[in-house]
Amino acid sequence: MEKERYLRRERFTPLTYLLLAAALLFTMILCICVGSVGISFSDTVTCVWNAVTGQPVPEGIAKNIILNVRLPRVLCVALAGAALSICGAAMQGLLRNPLADGSTMGVSSGAALGAIIAVATGFTLPGFSFGGGMVMAMAFAFGSLILILSLAYALDRSMSTGSIILIGVIFTMFISAIISLVITFASDHTRTLSFWTMGSFSGVNYEQVIILGAALLLCGGVLIRFSPELNAFAIGEENARHIGVNVRRVKLIILITVSVLIGVCVSIAGTVSFVGLIMPHIARMLVGPNHKRLIPASLFSGAIFLLLADLTARTLLSPIELPIGVVTSIVGAAAFVIIFYQTRKAG
Amino acid sequence: MSRKTVSLFLALLMIFSMASSLAEGAGITVTDMLGREITLAEPATSIVVMQPSDCEILCAIGCENTIVGRGQYVDYPASILEVPVVQSGKETNVEEILALQPQVVLMNSMSQSEEQVKQLEENGVKVVVSSTTNIESVYTAITLIGKLMGKDAEAEAVITDMKATFDEIRAKADEEPKKKVYFEISPPPYLYTAGSSSYMNELAEICGIKNIFDDQEDAWLMISEEQVIERNPDYIVLITNMGSAGVEEILSRAGWGDITAIRNQKVYNDEDSCMARPSPRLKEAAIVLYNFVHDIAAEEKPAA
Amino acid sequence: MLAGDHITVRYGNRTAVEDLSFRLHEGEWLMLAGPNGAGKSTLIEAIAQGLPYSGVFRWKGEDIRTLKGAVLAQRIGILSQQNRVSYAYTVEEVVELGRYAFKKGMFSGKDEQGAGQVEKALEMTGMTELRHASMLTLSGGEMQRAFLAQVFAQNPQVMILDEPANHLDLKYQKQLFSLIQAWLKEPGRAVMSVVHDLNLARHYGTHAVLMDQGKCIAQGPIGEVMTQENLRQVYGMDVYEWMRTMLSQWTEE
Repeated sequence: MEKERYLRRERFTPLTYLLLAAALLFTMILCICVGSVGISFSDTVTCVWNAVTGQPVPEGIAKNIILNVRLPRVLCVALAGAALSICGAAMQGLLRNPLADGSTMGVSSGAALGAIIAVATGFTLPGFSFGGGMVMAMAFAFGSLILILSLAYALDRSMSTGSIILIGVIFTMFISAIISLVITFASDHTRTLSFWTMGSFSGVNYEQVIILGAALLLCGGVLIRFSPELNAFAIGEENARHIGVNVRRVKLIILITVSVLIGVCVSIAGTVSFVGLIMPHIARMLVGPNHKRLIPASLFSGAIFLLLADLTARTLLSPIELPIGVVTSIVGAAAFVIIFYQTRKAG
Repeated sequence: MSRKTVSLFLALLMIFSMASSLAEGAGITVTDMLGREITLAEPATSIVVMQPSDCEILCAIGCENTIVGRGQYVDYPASILEVPVVQSGKETNVEEILALQPQVVLMNSMSQSEEQVKQLEENGVKVVVSSTTNIESVYTAITLIGKLMGKDAEAEAVITDMKATFDEIRAKADEEPKKKVYFEISPPPYLYTAGSSSYMNELAEICGIKNIFDDQEDAWLMISEEQVIERNPDYIVLITNMGSAGVEEILSRAGWGDITAIRNQKVYNDEDSCMARPSPRLKEAAIVLYNFVHDIAAEEKPAA
Repeated sequence: MLAGDHITVRYGNRTAVEDLSFRLHEGEWLMLAGPNGAGKSTLIEAIAQGLPYSGVFRWKGEDIRTLKGAVLAQRIGILSQQNRVSYAYTVEEVVELGRYAFKKGMFSGKDEQGAGQVEKALEMTGMTELRHASMLTLSGGEMQRAFLAQVFAQNPQVMILDEPANHLDLKYQKQLFSLIQAWLKEPGRAVMSVVHDLNLARHYGTHAVLMDQGKCIAQGPIGEVMTQENLRQVYGMDVYEWMRTMLSQWTEE
């Protein structure tokens, strides 16, 4: 322990950011260049460069695959990875619980149920094709959060690490049952159960990229703005109140922000587990627990992780594609065990 | 009634019963498609069928009236919808099957658990399992079901008819396939298609076209969108059961616009699901597919 | 400066604090004394607005319910018991959070005194050297001092301390209490604290509220409250006698 006692992180953070940003850029380029179909590097660069600079793009397969399939997918994956990761970071801070995350707490399942109900009942917003599902997903995500937290509070006032997770697991099972039920009765309209439990970024388009981007910009901004409050919560809710944080208001804002982000992600890509659980931990190892640095670091590392997971899903068994959740869950479950073990040892 | 007539009658009765018991001793023994041997005293007269394709086979050999219960997705021919359903989603209701007192339950190799099979057999219901992925296995299934129902000749006729149709189409079609087809079984986000060991691959071959995923051995597989774009099919067949909305969706799918099939709007939607099932209706499926790729209107029916 | 009028706090059916009133004036060090479960910590949590209560707390006559959290935090600094930390924050980061109330808000703008206050707080608690240490590696005493430094950084007018001597060895207990005493010398300041050690309470306190099962048994100048009779009533034993016995162990040598 002694060697870890003194932490002088602030000196190398600018460099850490630079490295993270460079790594993200590199990963994105890699993910655009590598895919199920091999397209030469120069063709890829020409496509993207011409499209970005507004020059005509040479017609052909390369254009269709790169610009219409791979690029929107890579952007979507990066944005969703970033969004899920900062949600995890925010929840882990807010609840002072290193195992908190949309998927472990059942928020994602709640959001999925919302989206499915919207599809099954034909609830839509005028002029906005998948707005209905998205709004319902957000509402259900928020409802799930409130329900889980109240249950946890009622059962165990200290809101210990274990009880929240336990309730999350039970809640997820309950919601999965309801999802199966809804899908059985409305099988013609809804996407398959595996989409909602394992997720996929196949077939995403630029419209979704823009929505995700806007949501991330807005909610990410809110979370960074509230990083001092998150720090206070991460040290303890009581302590936060003592130093003058408006506990109720801040909690509500953060929970709503997280619900919006998770709702948007789930309605676009289904449930992608574990990103929000592991990546904030990796980020914390790099830049420490201060949310002013942790949120941006989680954002980068979440994007990188999900990009690599999606790349694996797309190319490992090419031309066969795996659901992305298969990849994240295998990596995530292992990481979960390690983190749980460490927190047990420390706590 | 004289004593003589009575004894004659009794003798006749004895002979009859002996004869019938002899026949019983022979019975019917079939080997189902998992290699299990099933013996019946006589051809089955009441049957529960779980799989749509098996039901279609039963109907094709004239045994529709023997069906007393059906699986959830069994929906062809339309008259079958009056038969009670013994399944919801993936769950098979064993109690309801037993209540219908069938002699035989016909099911597919993947849909039921071993425990359920055992439970049925312990209650005196014979379980016959079919397993169909390619056309050859459809023939096997037809022969098997024909034998089970004591309709060997009818089964043979159905097979001969199917073969004749396939041969006829094959004779007209290109020997060396020039055009390519993509079969879509499930739309995004999980794109499922048919590989080389599926009957769809064979249908394409019969019609003189090439399945773009015939390099994949699996019958069914999930593939990447990019691969479809690269392999650039001339025709697309939708077996997604999504109605006209499915066609609209695929025509407007981002990045797919330059696929030859999409540009030429050569998308066939298998609305009456004759391609969705490995059944005798594959005959019609072959005709429909041939007509579709050769731009022949359905009413002309030249192939049939 | 701070007053409580008819404060009652209930947890479900149980009454933790019942109809309690007190006054804290400038320059006073008010000791909350009484056995476990007397409702001392509950009273502090209620002042922090962390619990529903009936009655009124007044800051210079004003109901503190009407004050914003940040404004309250600029006036009252609270050190609570238990401060388990889950993440590897540095001591400095925790102490800096004490300036939260000054950095926040549209009108207050930049917290110019912030850095100086943090520096001073670290120095007062002897934590300067450990400023970059991870909270997870601190001993109980160091942790207590770190959170106390956070309260100092808030530069409040009133400090409310729940068991400040917790986890501290004798040397730090003495240092800390002398420190608080010195801090109290400045005009416009007051302290309220829960102290289990009756010796410390008696020595440093100017006034006391003696509580038992949520009720106030006695209050007033420390000498008038900590009488043999009152203490016997509250603790159910002869405290004076006990203290003498304890002390005699040392004098005999």
